[in-house]
Amino acid sequence: MLSALTGDSGGRIRMAIKVQLFVTCLAEQFFPDMLERMVGLLTRLGVEVRFPEEQTCCGQPFFNSGYQSQAREVARQWMRVFGPTEGFIVSPSGSCVELVRHHMPGLFPAGSAERRQAEDLAGRTREFSEFLQQELQVSDVGARFPHKVTYHASCHLLRGLGLHDGPKQMLKRVRDLDLVPLASEETCCGFGGVFSVIYPEVSKLMTEAKVRSIEESGAEVVVACDAGCLMNIAGGLQKSGSRVKAMHLIDVLAAGGDAGKK
Amino acid sequence: MDATVKQIDFRRNTQGVPPNIPASVQKATGRFLGIRAGVVGQLPNWEELREAAHNIRLHAINHLDHYLEMMEKRVTEAGGQVHWARDSAEAGEIVLGIARQHKVKAVVKSKSMATEEIGLNHVLEANGIHALETDLGEYIVQLAGTGPSHIIVPAVHLTKEDIAKLLTQKLGVEAPPDPFRLAEIARQELRQRFFAADMGISGANFMVAETGTLVIVSNEGNARMCTTLPPVHVAVVGIDKIIPDWESLTVLLRVLARSATGQKITSYTSFITGPRHSAGEHGPQEFHLVLLDNGRTRALRDPVTRQTLICIRCGACLNVCPVYNHVGGHAYGWVYSGPIGAILSPQLLGTKIAADLPFASSLCGACAEICPVKIPIPEILLHLRHRVAEGDEQEAAVSPVLARAAARLGAMVYGTPWLYRLTLRVLELAQAPFRRDGWLPRLPAPLNRWTMARPFPAMDGRFRRWWAARQRGKSQ
Amino acid sequence: MATRENSREVILADVRAGLGRAPGAPVAARPAIPPPRALGAPDQEIERLLSEIAALKGNAQRLASADVSTALADLVRAENVRKATQWSTAGLERLGVTSCLRGLGVEIVPSDAGIKVFGDVDLGITEADFALAETGTLGLLSSPAKPRQVSLVPRIHLAIVPARAFRADMHQVFEEAKKQGYLVFITGPSRTADIELTVTIGVHGPKVLYVWVVDGSWAE
Repeated sequence: MLSALTGDSGGRIRMAIKVQLFVTCLAEQFFPDMLERMVGLLTRLGVEVRFPEEQTCCGQPFFNSGYQSQAREVARQWMRVFGPTEGFIVSPSGSCVELVRHHMPGLFPAGSAERRQAEDLAGRTREFSEFLQQELQVSDVGARFPHKVTYHASCHLLRGLGLHDGPKQMLKRVRDLDLVPLASEETCCGFGGVFSVIYPEVSKLMTEAKVRSIEESGAEVVVACDAGCLMNIAGGLQKSGSRVKAMHLIDVLAAGGDAGKK
Repeated sequence: MDATVKQIDFRRNTQGVPPNIPASVQKATGRFLGIRAGVVGQLPNWEELREAAHNIRLHAINHLDHYLEMMEKRVTEAGGQVHWARDSAEAGEIVLGIARQHKVKAVVKSKSMATEEIGLNHVLEANGIHALETDLGEYIVQLAGTGPSHIIVPAVHLTKEDIAKLLTQKLGVEAPPDPFRLAEIARQELRQRFFAADMGISGANFMVAETGTLVIVSNEGNARMCTTLPPVHVAVVGIDKIIPDWESLTVLLRVLARSATGQKITSYTSFITGPRHSAGEHGPQEFHLVLLDNGRTRALRDPVTRQTLICIRCGACLNVCPVYNHVGGHAYGWVYSGPIGAILSPQLLGTKIAADLPFASSLCGACAEICPVKIPIPEILLHLRHRVAEGDEQEAAVSPVLARAAARLGAMVYGTPWLYRLTLRVLELAQAPFRRDGWLPRLPAPLNRWTMARPFPAMDGRFRRWWAARQRGKSQ
Repeated sequence: MATRENSREVILADVRAGLGRAPGAPVAARPAIPPPRALGAPDQEIERLLSEIAALKGNAQRLASADVSTALADLVRAENVRKATQWSTAGLERLGVTSCLRGLGVEIVPSDAGIKVFGDVDLGITEADFALAETGTLGLLSSPAKPRQVSLVPRIHLAIVPARAFRADMHQVFEEAKKQGYLVFITGPSRTADIELTVTIGVHGPKVLYVWVVDGSWAE
């Protein structure tokens, strides 16, 4: 696939694709390296990357807490930022994409201009792995990652966006990567946004269970495609003294190989 | 709204859950899920059945008045008596009235969530009538003096050792921690009670409007005993249990047992239309159907939450729910637990009492994925969270003023790009004293609600600076 | 709070208000139902029924009508049957079940006996009205000749299944049985998994289930 990208026709097509980075508030605050790698990867794949700097948050924390009026306010800001842009809006977090795609339009009355704009934006927004596989038709970016890796399926990516195997397919294409199964791959890690702070005791039990199954998988690295889950799982691993690292799919895809060069 | 249920404090209920409870629960739910996956996999048209089950149940709920009237007419034609109960108190009075009329002393009951809901045993007990639970699990939790912790396996939170101790204590018999011996002891205890009972009380899994038929599934045979041997049979059934016709059953029975226990069909399925039809026939001489509202008509008003009422009580959402699996059923504070409890209780009890429950979920969506009638549980959870936080056409907001103020402040920050960027920078500077090797292991309240479970990664807002530098580099 | 006269009207009014339906408003057609399974070849259906029941720890076999008396003798001996009862169907009559049991020294208890007497019966014999191979399910109706307690109270239930009882699917059974007032599906012996999910056979219903598919024209 990569060779096709470096070829003339491939290169020309890719150069035409414009992408608006939707970095998400969590990734911006906690995962700057991953975001830099995301820009690097997309650029390498011939995509023209833009970063609308006025972006803040999609409003999911408010929406999931029941504060739809506030979610609407924040969504309006998000729409002011992304509305005038063109091309795909690409995000490294499945749950934020799910909010934009499935819930944002419903915040505005049917038939309103805002509803139409939200629906347009929902139609243009893609999760990172989804964008690569479905829009760029790329599953192999030429990465090399000589480690034992397991995959945690983030709930909103899996059930919200219906992305079951995509990220795993991409991991399988990474050179020297040994993908090992995770027993409770599809079980929530205990994050759940506001849930984790409203019911910390339960969230803790769920996180600990996830950490145990990651440990039992024998992997050195656990991969997910959502900043929230990664923040939670990484914290859980750190707290338990585990040596397993939590990484975003992007971190793995940017490693070694051709795509690793800046 | 039920005045007897106190405000549910989910967080308090989940603190200090004994570790053996999640262990027992997970052992059971894991088995159920494994067996379920096997039998579901054998059906080539599972998704088609789910879709049909959803459509049929929603159709029944959307025409509830029509089918209830049909049910009433057919039951009456079959010689049964139909009663209507608006709430727990009225349902209790009706059953008590029937019992008094027949000078009933001993009642045998088969498992029924509706009678759990109305606290029927207590009502009868207070009036000198002993009501004995006969489903093995219900019998055990009745002896223990607690309520069921799972829709299908009421005593799922207890080990065989717990149960052996309980039976030894309560029955004065030598009960070894062996499931087979324990079941045998219960069989012996209950057998004479079935024979001696003056009245049998049951719920129903479905009410078939077409012929006025109750459908009751069971494995132990206790539901058959309760509805066959005593001279009077009283069924207490939520009005939501109605289905149009027998054809509908061909779908619903196929999905129910598979989802509940992983069986293709339960050991027994009884289809009961009225009392016995002639003096020479064996069976109850009198049949009463108590149609229970108890908040269901309120749930109907909202087209989103209305979908809760299509539930067929299989318990699959409990089995798959990571929250339920870690806290058990009692944490949900009322008879319905797990994801279905989290959406049903706030509607039946009101959000004032059950405001905590819509938040007792990580919104992972596993429940909706497994639900045999495709209830969009996460969507309903979100809808109810909105009701709690901001109020809606059904109920006023019940969230604390402080929480609402915090939401407004947060939205102002997130809605104002410069303020957002400034806040992030301030927080980044403020974290310095808490920082240890790239982590924030301990933070003051309210952020300790996060750090009590795991550290925060240290905030690092350098992406914007990196991007700005990259843009400058490009333009040079 | 006492029972109230008008609860029926209040509930129906609340239902209609909630749904926004006027009394007698039209009812949409019931959504479509996936079509029934097709009936297999007779031998296959019998095999399937027997294997499904066996998988549920029931004792299932196929017999020639001439072998029923031998099989009954084996059952009575193996299960130590002292008292038995049976449905009064022409088929069981023709198979000579009662006389055979009497010949084996088994006391016959009337099938409509009161529970004080009936509670001690060891064996109840029925003739299945319906059989569903797919799930190993028997369907039994109820009438003065077919008391409900025969398949429920005795510790052993023997269901004799004629070839004509087989139906492809629940659809056909329901079509025939829905106006009958009572039907019970029996699928294997009674069981529970209420204690640590350990499957325990024989709780309140029969502990042992025998199912004999008996060939021949005895049931016609």
